[in-house]
Amino acid sequence: MKAVCWMGKSKIETLNVPDPALLNPHDAILKITKTAICGSDLHLFDGFIPTMEQGDILGHEFMGIVEEVGRDVTNLKRGDRVVVPFTISCGNCLFCRKQLWSLCDNTNPNAHIAETLDGYTPSGLFGYSHMLGGYAGGQAQYVRVPFANVGPLKIESDLPDEKVLFLSDIFPTGYMAAENANIEEGDTVAVWGCGPVGLFAISSAFMLGAARVIAIDRFPERLELARKLGAITVDYSEEDVSVLTALKDLTGGIGPDCAIDAVGMEAHSNDLQYVYDKVKTALFMETDRPGVLRQAIIGVRKGGTLSIPGVYGGLLDKVPFGAAMNKGLTMKMGQTHMQKYMKPLLERIEKGQIDPTFLISHRITLDEAPEMYKIWRDKKDKVTKIVIDPWAEKKAA
Amino acid sequence: MADALRETPNREDLPRVGSAGVIENGRYMPPPADMDGKTWVRTTALVQASPLDCYELWRNYNAVPLWQEQIKEVRITGPKISHWVWDVDGKTTEWDEELMQDEPGKRIAWRTIQGDAYNAGEVIFDEAPGGRGTLITYLQEFGEGKAKTAIDTVRNRNPKQSVIENLRHFKAFMETGEIPRTQGQPHGPRGMSGNLKAELYGEHIKTPPGLKRAS
Ligand SMILES: [Zn+2]
Ligand SMILES: [Zn+2]
Repeated sequence: MKAVCWMGKSKIETLNVPDPALLNPHDAILKITKTAICGSDLHLFDGFIPTMEQGDILGHEFMGIVEEVGRDVTNLKRGDRVVVPFTISCGNCLFCRKQLWSLCDNTNPNAHIAETLDGYTPSGLFGYSHMLGGYAGGQAQYVRVPFANVGPLKIESDLPDEKVLFLSDIFPTGYMAAENANIEEGDTVAVWGCGPVGLFAISSAFMLGAARVIAIDRFPERLELARKLGAITVDYSEEDVSVLTALKDLTGGIGPDCAIDAVGMEAHSNDLQYVYDKVKTALFMETDRPGVLRQAIIGVRKGGTLSIPGVYGGLLDKVPFGAAMNKGLTMKMGQTHMQKYMKPLLERIEKGQIDPTFLISHRITLDEAPEMYKIWRDKKDKVTKIVIDPWAEKKAA
Repeated sequence: MADALRETPNREDLPRVGSAGVIENGRYMPPPADMDGKTWVRTTALVQASPLDCYELWRNYNAVPLWQEQIKEVRITGPKISHWVWDVDGKTTEWDEELMQDEPGKRIAWRTIQGDAYNAGEVIFDEAPGGRGTLITYLQEFGEGKAKTAIDTVRNRNPKQSVIENLRHFKAFMETGEIPRTQGQPHGPRGMSGNLKAELYGEHIKTPPGLKRAS
């Protein structure tokens, strides 16, 4: 089959690899009908996530048709159409029983690596480094889905793939980000980053009762989408714009009640700290570039909540923890507890409350994926979301 | 002092002496230190199953190769004696073990009586606080000499880590009926750097098969 492979930092190739096979009793094999490139895949492309191995198949946002099931898979059969969550959960450990699905104890074969770095391991993820399992991803024609009794969500209606594909990650992730922000009716919510997760966080914040959302980014096409969803936008790249002043100006000086960092470890800003972090990460003295996190801690109001769906990988430098303490902040974060959100959000899509396809800017083939990673990283061609049809032939040049 | 705390609705009685020496007179005790040519490892797991179910799987010697790394075969050769075959890349090491303690639902202890490797160990199954399943404490000791040579053949997996991994496999097997694996899945060419990393992360060590036992 064809698959998008990580071949080194800034090096991605579409290659022919063997088809996946059933390896465990709870496995299923899926013929992928649609898959997507995620903003967090760019962290892999840029080499920010350690423990990638040459040859790894990328991709954690995918859906498809069940081709084959292992002998202990009881709730799926050949021909079922499913969306698969990017986190792999066993369904029976203490964490799964507490609905902390992305913290499952039993799905990371390389738990010892994550334990060394983080103390304990989170769940395994598709296509997202060996410290998180080393599972082959879904930017491919077929994929093996372990613990298939627990993850895949069956789509029984005739909704097109593109309307339900984002249940695999970014919609639930944006929704959980808003839920983690402890939004109360009438709150003002600031969202850093208007990529897919940020945009879903904006619509989810309104669903959960926010009166006003302030959206911060620098790309006109993303800011435009944020305004379409009803947010006030702040373009931090504009001359004379200070995000912190904007937050005060828009809230009568008290700051937003809730802050959502939907950017994560590769933040950009237009001030000196950006240069400082670039130099330090280049010298391996720091692994992440936490500009947004710093700004969100300073910018959120006293007693406010900071929700962090953005991905961080390692050690952060100069995080103003004194401000977090003195202002009495609450912080909530983590990979999404997918199984808790997929079904209710599918219902919202089925009822027509949201149409996630508003995000899609590019529809490509597997062969076009390597080039697309570059285009997206360099923020060219107004990319907001890339969907791949793994069975489409390359367009004539 | 006990009278000072009147409201502790969920507090459970503390053991005076806990399993495998973790608690003694209410105090936490660190694992035994390596000395005199002996290496110790103590590891624990919280398993969502009853102590008796955990005991029964652990005590089932025929099932050991399903969840312990690099154990090819365990044969019961006497009332309390078993013969173990350890296979590392086709190179086998064999020994006999004697069952020292066998308390259903509570405790199993063993030691090597003859062969090419020496180990002694104890595994204890306690009810976890708050009714949250079983707290397993696994203490193992390795001797020096031939065992060490055998251990050295385990590339990049020191014996302490393999004990930790075995308990992790046991927990996954117990809770889910399988052991998570990625060996055998497709990938592009690994090249030198990919193979080196896989070796470094211990991914070449075969994940035990973990096929669900017949229940
Ligand atoms: Zn994603
Ligand atoms: Zn679990």
